[in-house]
Amino acid sequence: MSILAQVRREFAAFFHSPIAYVLLLVATVLNGLVFMFIVDFLSDPRSPHGAPMQMLFSWVIFWFIVIVVTPLITMRTLAEEKSSGTLETLLTAPIDEFGVVVAKFLAALGFYLVLWLPTLAYPLVLSRFSEIDLGPILAGYLGAAGVGTMFLSIGILCSALFRSQIVAALLSFAVVMVLFLAPLFSFLDPAITSDSILGYMELISHMEDFSRGIVDSRHLIYYGSVTLFALFCTVQVIQARRWRG
Amino acid sequence: MIKVEQLTKRFAATTAVSDISFDVRPKEVVGFLGPNGAGKSTTLKVITGFYSATSGSVLVDGHDVSRRPEAVKRAIGYLPENVPLYPEMRVHEYLRYRAALKRVPGSRRRAAVDSALERCRLGDVRTRIIGQLSKGYRQRVGLADALVGDPKLLILDEPTIGLDPNQIRQVRELIRDLGRERTVILSSHILPEVEAVCSRVLIINRGKIVGQGDPGELRAGLGKEGASITLEVRDPEGRAPEVLKAVEGVTGVGEPIAGEDGLAVFEVTAGAGASVRERIFDAAVGAGFKLLGMSSRTLSLEDVFVQITTSEDCDEGDAERDEEVAQ
Repeated sequence: MSILAQVRREFAAFFHSPIAYVLLLVATVLNGLVFMFIVDFLSDPRSPHGAPMQMLFSWVIFWFIVIVVTPLITMRTLAEEKSSGTLETLLTAPIDEFGVVVAKFLAALGFYLVLWLPTLAYPLVLSRFSEIDLGPILAGYLGAAGVGTMFLSIGILCSALFRSQIVAALLSFAVVMVLFLAPLFSFLDPAITSDSILGYMELISHMEDFSRGIVDSRHLIYYGSVTLFALFCTVQVIQARRWRG
Repeated sequence: MIKVEQLTKRFAATTAVSDISFDVRPKEVVGFLGPNGAGKSTTLKVITGFYSATSGSVLVDGHDVSRRPEAVKRAIGYLPENVPLYPEMRVHEYLRYRAALKRVPGSRRRAAVDSALERCRLGDVRTRIIGQLSKGYRQRVGLADALVGDPKLLILDEPTIGLDPNQIRQVRELIRDLGRERTVILSSHILPEVEAVCSRVLIINRGKIVGQGDPGELRAGLGKEGASITLEVRDPEGRAPEVLKAVEGVTGVGEPIAGEDGLAVFEVTAGAGASVRERIFDAAVGAGFKLLGMSSRTLSLEDVFVQITTSEDCDEGDAERDEEVAQ
């Protein structure tokens, strides 16, 4: 019950801050741009066959949104509580560190999903004019949620480490960039195959799979384990306060 | 209600609280008194479970804080120093959220919030945004938060800091009121406050309890029902301090504040009774300096406090100063 109350507060808190509206605006405009290209693509008879909605989840704009937006969603979560001292009122209420971290994570995930909400209109609109294949679209959303989950948990961990929201955002941006870019080295060296670790972590091809309708459990396990590890570390970081002051 | 045994709290290099033990009985209003950085807040934070003790134990309402933090947290309403709040929320929104967090069942939540609002006289700002409230109102929102859910024990860290005299009076009245039906611990570095509100005082300095008792007892036991006498003398030769020290019943002579023409003002502490003043008068006549004025007042708790916190412990040479233990 305490966790539920906390999730509700955290989720509402996003909409009390101007950043939330900026993020919503940016995501909606960029996704709208993608949709414009999708429509262009469909209305051009020379276009090859394929699932046009793929563009929404595997294009450069998708990565731009995810990588830039997630640190901005999570930077506030714990850094603000630490700097304003509200962590003390929070943790002296009947909720423990685990509950607080889980609540913050769920609220951040909820807000992240809200950012994608407007894009649900695209398949609806398209379905009026053409056949659409629901499978790849749902898989695409699943992939977007999975990658987002992983990035958000990293952002929350970074936010737990600092009092400054900006420092937290910069660090989580850096970590997320490394996770995104490092596996790309596999393209430079043909010896690295998709069976190697770097290949396993290669996010761009993950999303290509998802947006083609392939739900590969290995990808989901990767996101899930990074998420659990990051949240576990976050709980440890907040607990350390008891000893260090 | 609270049983603290041999509590020690160390941070990396400093010892904030060292080996303190005390009990708080139900429905007692206990004041924690001490200079800034004495370890008051740290002790309170250990009791609430925000910090873990380095050694020793804390029992609240029969539950060990380190083993059953959940049960302890449910029994406590806590107002931290500086009253951290979420500035973007509205007053009633915030209290509703806190009530839910403290597991007040949904059906009773509205009533719990309303009664907290009423007790702290927040009715007229219930829909205002917390960040726009004055310091006095914010303090009361913090108090209302501590009260919501009707905890058995209230822990208030510096509840009147930063308020104007009017607001201080209101908050004190409220605390006294609350103390009638529940246990209250409050910390303060302001003496009249503790004297006015608390039934028992613990004086803490450098992480140790250096005195305890009800305000009257403390004054009697430690100040020996003494008086502080202010003397104004004309003493061009400067003999007065020595002469005064020799007077029977005088326990201390302060530094003279010299004026023109050999005028000087002294602060003399002495045992109670008019006879000391008579002896001072006789001594002055005997020594040949002129007594121009003499006024006496009983030692306040403040004097006792200054005596205790500056005299004892100072020469013990423990390097563990905890002034740096800033939150």
